[in-house]
Amino acid sequence: METKIKSKAFKQFSEATKTLLNPVLQNWKDQGGKIVGYFCSTVPEELITAAGLIPLRMRATGSTSTERSDAFFSSINCSFARHCFNLALTGDFKFLDGVVCINSCDHVRRIYDNWIRFVPDTPFVEVMSLPRKTEPAQVAWYRDEINLLKGKLEKHFGVKISNKTLWKAIKLHNETRRLQKKLYELRKQERPPITGAETLAVMVAGTAMPKEQYNNMLRELLDELKGAKGPGGHRARLMIVGGILDDPEYVKVIEDQGGLVVTDSLCFGTRIMWVEVDESLSDPAEALAKYYVADRPSCPRFYGEHDNRAKYIVDMCREFKCDGVIGERLMFCDPWAVEHYMLGQDLKAAGIPMLKLDREYITGGIGQLRTRVQAFLETMGR
Amino acid sequence: MLVGGCDVGSATGKAVIMRNVEIISYEIIPSTTKPEVTARTVMDMALKKAGLSSISDLNYIVGTGYGRLKVPFANENISEITCHARGAQWLLPTVRTVVDIGGQDCKVMSLGDKGKVLEFVMNDRCAAGTGRFFEAMARVLDCGLQGLSELALQGKNPATISSQCSVFAESEVVTLVNEGKELSDIVAGLHASIASRLNSMVRKVGLVEDVVLTGGCAKNDGLAKALEEKLGMSVKKLPIDPQIVGAIGAALIAAERVSKQTMKSPV
Amino acid sequence: MDEKIEKSLSRMKEEIAQFEPILAVLKAEPGEMGHLQSFPLEDLIGNHKRIIECVEQGKTFLASQYTNPVEILTAMDVPWYFTVQQQFSAGGTGGSPHTMEDLEEMDRLGIPSDCCTLLRLLLYYQVAGLLPIPTAYLALTEPCDGVTGLHAAFMNHPDWRDVPVFVPDPPYHDDVRAFDYYASELKGMVDFITKYTGKTMNMRRLKKVVEETNKGYALWLEYSDLRRAAPAPHSYAMPMSCFYILNTAGAGEPEVTQWYRDMVANAEMRIRENRPEVPNQKVRLLWYDIQPTYFSELVPWLEQEWGAVIAMDMVSYCPYELIDTSTEDTLFRGLAKRALLHGPMIHQAHGVVDNVIHDITRIVRDYKIDCVILPGHMGHKDMAASASIVRETCRDLGVPYLYIGLDVCDKRYTTLDQMKNKIAQFFTAMGLG
Repeated sequence: METKIKSKAFKQFSEATKTLLNPVLQNWKDQGGKIVGYFCSTVPEELITAAGLIPLRMRATGSTSTERSDAFFSSINCSFARHCFNLALTGDFKFLDGVVCINSCDHVRRIYDNWIRFVPDTPFVEVMSLPRKTEPAQVAWYRDEINLLKGKLEKHFGVKISNKTLWKAIKLHNETRRLQKKLYELRKQERPPITGAETLAVMVAGTAMPKEQYNNMLRELLDELKGAKGPGGHRARLMIVGGILDDPEYVKVIEDQGGLVVTDSLCFGTRIMWVEVDESLSDPAEALAKYYVADRPSCPRFYGEHDNRAKYIVDMCREFKCDGVIGERLMFCDPWAVEHYMLGQDLKAAGIPMLKLDREYITGGIGQLRTRVQAFLETMGR
Repeated sequence: MLVGGCDVGSATGKAVIMRNVEIISYEIIPSTTKPEVTARTVMDMALKKAGLSSISDLNYIVGTGYGRLKVPFANENISEITCHARGAQWLLPTVRTVVDIGGQDCKVMSLGDKGKVLEFVMNDRCAAGTGRFFEAMARVLDCGLQGLSELALQGKNPATISSQCSVFAESEVVTLVNEGKELSDIVAGLHASIASRLNSMVRKVGLVEDVVLTGGCAKNDGLAKALEEKLGMSVKKLPIDPQIVGAIGAALIAAERVSKQTMKSPV
Repeated sequence: MDEKIEKSLSRMKEEIAQFEPILAVLKAEPGEMGHLQSFPLEDLIGNHKRIIECVEQGKTFLASQYTNPVEILTAMDVPWYFTVQQQFSAGGTGGSPHTMEDLEEMDRLGIPSDCCTLLRLLLYYQVAGLLPIPTAYLALTEPCDGVTGLHAAFMNHPDWRDVPVFVPDPPYHDDVRAFDYYASELKGMVDFITKYTGKTMNMRRLKKVVEETNKGYALWLEYSDLRRAAPAPHSYAMPMSCFYILNTAGAGEPEVTQWYRDMVANAEMRIRENRPEVPNQKVRLLWYDIQPTYFSELVPWLEQEWGAVIAMDMVSYCPYELIDTSTEDTLFRGLAKRALLHGPMIHQAHGVVDNVIHDITRIVRDYKIDCVILPGHMGHKDMAASASIVRETCRDLGVPYLYIGLDVCDKRYTTLDQMKNKIAQFFTAMGLG
């Protein structure tokens, strides 16, 4: 991706979005380090960090086909799940020392069932039970799930995860969140020094590197961008709302039409960092559970939170002075389909234009994407 | 002031030339595999028809359509959604819903009072309800596109075509023909099924009078009639070849760029 | 009466008008199966009338989904209706007269067509005002994303925004910890019902109701066992009604238990006298999904053209356990386990895929299945993701396996002709029938 940003850190971030085993991770492995992949941003990364391992958010970057996985899934299954599993079958995830699955959605939860049967050489494959509601009883349930996973990690990897180590990891991850939020704050201004596509690269990289190193690199980037101003004169300031979007190219196609993405509600976006884990509690597992289930901006996986989500989006639009919202979802995703259906109504009431886009996990159909975005910008009179 | 609009579609290329906001010539040609060639060819033909010698005679050119990025002489490109809406509204100021059925896609646009697009929905993922589909059917039934339209109008008991997919619908049609069903009923059924699909798209953006059809398939009276039945209201006819509406819209926008004011309708 | 209210009751009133004449005929000339066939209709009509009365007289009533324990609702004597009932009845009665127009209107809602049609239809009914607005309702977030999304949209509707709703939170695991967690959720549900209906839970009554449904389930299991016989005693409609009756209003009433007794008796008699409802049976099928709303256009063809009977189906093969009614704790834990693990579709879709493998293995062996059909309803994303696992299971069992890929509500998705062609080619290739 062509960019005006000079810092070496950004180059590394960009690189990390193009591969699974980026050079930083490769280096970690070469030195005997271990990596545990996880599906869904509600899996507590901090626990994996506390175990001395690197948490890697599962992506299917670079996948070109679902030939192998199509036999296990079917044509009505999400392309993200199919591509990920395809890579698992072709051995591209051999470098993983473990995978934590979760019942985030119907497609992804079956990755667990298929993985344990058909990808037997992955040593540690577990599944967590994520609640649907966000009340205290659910926080308690998830705290117990976290403790159970902690026990399993300790046993398998031969480590001890004390409360102290867990708090240390939480503080580290919170620092990441703080730095990422700082980056977004820069985008509130009229001429943000970083584009949406570039920001996505930074966020994705954050899920694919050891956090200490990442934090240092991010500080370097923030230094460069401090006081910098990007080009102005954008046709519109946009917010992207959706699920698992990890391809900066997709955002670039959108921005090439003249709009600028200034903020989002995405799995690789504000949802994972806008709020921090509450460090004032005494039990770190409880703190994590509260964060992942109750405190953090939710996604439609959670029931009964739509009003909060709609408010979050409208408030975010006002804060970042957005002219419109682009809602994207992967085909066959039920939660986001209904969410966008409702959001369309909410945003209409709030007077914010919305464009709904369906996509496949591997970016394609660029001509069609361009036409829709261009028409959307034109209908906004820009 | 001389302006041009060039709509490079997947099936056909269209060019419209306007002098002082009046259409002085237009041309429609089948698309070649290279959009830039299609654009140049159709524009040259339109220029010739208008008695103009060179493209530099035009003050401003807007490109639109699927190949709009490859119109080398265009000063600007605008989405076909905006162009179809603009063109339709200029031709018929009371229009509020535009149903465009092109070679490879179909779309519905809902317009506000001043021709502004409020909402739109597109089907560009499959051939059902597009020019390709009708061409395929005309081939299977060996009757030509005009013949298809006539048959549709003659059908008294439209057959039920249940396939959503145009490829499967083709098989269904062959089966019905073999079963000895009336050709006109089969064709009427096909049109009803497409109209149903379009109706669904229209409802998604909201049905508001007046409704017009644009695009090549708008010349199919059978389809217009079938759509009227589904919508429960009449589809207004445009005073010009509906296939050039996109190019008209593009030319209008070109004129606006030159004079920096909104172009009024000729009516 | 208020137009809105009238509209919300219109479908129920139509169904009453549709079924009452049929009921009259069945009562006048019951034949062998008369009582068995008329009971579900009477049950449905009776419940519709009860709800209509509640609406017209401003009495409290609830709406719910079938996995929320019906025993609790019966024990608390709360009138309720099953929101998805229209589509489920359609499956048994050959489709509602409004199906096509409902589907077309549903399309216009603008929810992507890759979402489960069953749920989109239900949302359409709500949006169109075709569902009576209850005092409060019990939602569901099991077992699939679609149902969660639907209930989220339900809450968002302007007329339902202020209607209190409760949903028990489902754990993904299947151990005692999970059952206890769900049991406490169910207790929360009881408190919710009390809060909004004023009705309280009487544990003795609950015990009695659960003891009664225990009998019903035991009989249903017995009936399912009888389907192992070759030839299978009944065609598809009666066996599939079994699920419906124990999961709707009136569950826990002795009349319901009697119905199951009669079903068992009839099946036993037919087996003894070698007088199956479907003659000339040649192929025994496992239909591993819920029944489509247009089933009555498919199964008679299977039975007559191919001598193929549905010896067992997904909805009927549920490993219900009898609940220990000795204490409040055992009662709630039992109800929790039943709700999480035993109900149709929940059993198959909840949690990991092991239930499916286990069931298919047992069914194929015990029911001497000649062919496993995975209809593959387009809403069952998790089942679609289990296609290979099921295929391998069938290969290990040496039984032919056919995947169709259809929409249980919408025959435009895969047409009946397409389905029949696929089945015919498959049967021929496998030398069945």
